[in-house]
Amino acid sequence: MKQRSLASRILPRIWIGLAALFIVVYSTAPFVWMVIASITPEEVVGQGELWSSARKVQLFPSNPSLINYHALFDNVPFGLYFRNSAIIATGTMVLSLFVASLGGYAFARFRFAGRQPLLVAMLMAYLVPSVVLLVPLLVIFRNYGLINTHLGMIFAESSLAAPFVLLLMINFYASLPRELEEAAQIDGCSRLSALFRIVLPLALPGLVAGGLIAFIISWNNFLFAYLFTSTDNVKTLPVLMRLFALGEPAIWGVSTAGAVISTLPVALLFFAFQRMMINGLAAGAVKG
Amino acid sequence: MEGATTAPLGMRQPRRRKLDLLPYFFLAPIASLLILVSFYPAAYAVWLGLTDATLLKIGKENFIGLGNVVRMMNDRIFLESLWRTLRWDLAVVILEFAIALPIALFLNLDFRGRGFVRAVILIPYIIPPAVTALVWVFMFDGNFGVVNEVLLQLGFIDSYLSWLSEPISSFWIIVFAMVWAGQPLLAIIILAVLQTIPRDLYEAANVDGASQLRKFWHITLPHIMPTLLFLFLVRMIWMSNHIDMIFVMTRGGPGFSNYTEAVYSFTLTTQFEIGYASAVAVALGLVLLTGAAFYVRHLARSVLT
Repeated sequence: MKQRSLASRILPRIWIGLAALFIVVYSTAPFVWMVIASITPEEVVGQGELWSSARKVQLFPSNPSLINYHALFDNVPFGLYFRNSAIIATGTMVLSLFVASLGGYAFARFRFAGRQPLLVAMLMAYLVPSVVLLVPLLVIFRNYGLINTHLGMIFAESSLAAPFVLLLMINFYASLPRELEEAAQIDGCSRLSALFRIVLPLALPGLVAGGLIAFIISWNNFLFAYLFTSTDNVKTLPVLMRLFALGEPAIWGVSTAGAVISTLPVALLFFAFQRMMINGLAAGAVKG
Repeated sequence: MEGATTAPLGMRQPRRRKLDLLPYFFLAPIASLLILVSFYPAAYAVWLGLTDATLLKIGKENFIGLGNVVRMMNDRIFLESLWRTLRWDLAVVILEFAIALPIALFLNLDFRGRGFVRAVILIPYIIPPAVTALVWVFMFDGNFGVVNEVLLQLGFIDSYLSWLSEPISSFWIIVFAMVWAGQPLLAIIILAVLQTIPRDLYEAANVDGASQLRKFWHITLPHIMPTLLFLFLVRMIWMSNHIDMIFVMTRGGPGFSNYTEAVYSFTLTTQFEIGYASAVAVALGLVLLTGAAFYVRHLARSVLT
């Protein structure tokens, strides 16, 4: 084998390093800007109705501070919105996991009449334009008093997350060997208790991935939150973000501070469980 | 075990019947949820589309049959939005693939820190879309935007541009924001498929002295083409349904210049014109139905085998 020159050994590494750097910068630049903006204090000039921000455009603040975060909690019921998002996202996660783990097991382990058409129908729920659902859900929720309730939001958002988690769980169950359940049945276990005592513990990685994906789908959801809530009691963070994007309040530092805090939970969850979730995302959308 | 085969036929019947019902019990929760929150409302939407309901007239609406369809055919916004939906879909999806494919190919190489990069590229996808919209609106702000500042300092422009108040530039900025947020998912899926290609194929090609391009064209591309086509269809459908980014960034503005069909239906809804809004939405749904049905049947079949 020819001895490769120093250049031909290092050059590919440099290309790879540059490409990796480029990709990382591309993926994080807006996010980094957001964080920088949140620690940039802004002067406010004028009084009362006529105040405006004497915003200076700077790439990095000369005096970074956390003042925007204080202002955020002082002037906006941010904690309330955060709580709402947390409640609804957790509820969506629990409901989606419950329905999808049961339903997925049926598809994965049983052959029954209507198996394929039923799955097709459930996946169609995933592709029906949400626009089509907006109007009727608005009317239905009003009629049943589900507007401005956490429960209503949980139901609405679970219908978005459940098909995805269903696919994920079906794939996951399919990858588990049947022998364990069959052995349990020989020992006299009913199928239901075999599911709970043997299969689910094994399916834990799938459940974690599915639960997190459902949580994130709910946490990030804007459309339903915007349409089905009108009081601060139930509004979620994305709705607040939209208000900020309109320029109210006109202090970017505060808006971006809110944006940073809104992103942290899902970002942290994602990084903590990234391997499981990446596998889950890839499996849920296309069979691997 | 022997007992089961020698038992009289009558004995086995009850057990088999009980087994037959069990999957339906398991399916009941998710079926109920989807019927209540997806299917029944969808049917109701079709009904509403045939009425002249407004939020103030619920219960007193009149059945107007295809009256809404006539209105749609004469509605300039409706017709323009149809065309714009297609342009939006193509712009976003083509750009997404143009970025995701190289990234996936890159991540398929073995290098130190690959896992880190793979996690980082998903950041745009994980960030709540409302936050992404907010950040992009601020970055491209006409008076204080950091993009303006950077371009100015680099000498590309002479003065700040008002990116989001012009139809063409605002369209492309929303497209870029959407692409930025959506492409990581594509990249991850393409990467997953790339990693199923057996390495010995590449090694054999190397032995034969094949160039990078030939290896890509003859080995990589055939393997990923089905997935690429599939994903293309899916993303086109999703983008046709998409509202959030457009609405939060510009409300479909300036004026109506960024309306897609979905955004139009949404705006109509917020203006309480729910009969017409439903008609527009159902029209959109029907157009997408053929593509959606194909995708879903394929997906279901691949999952159930």
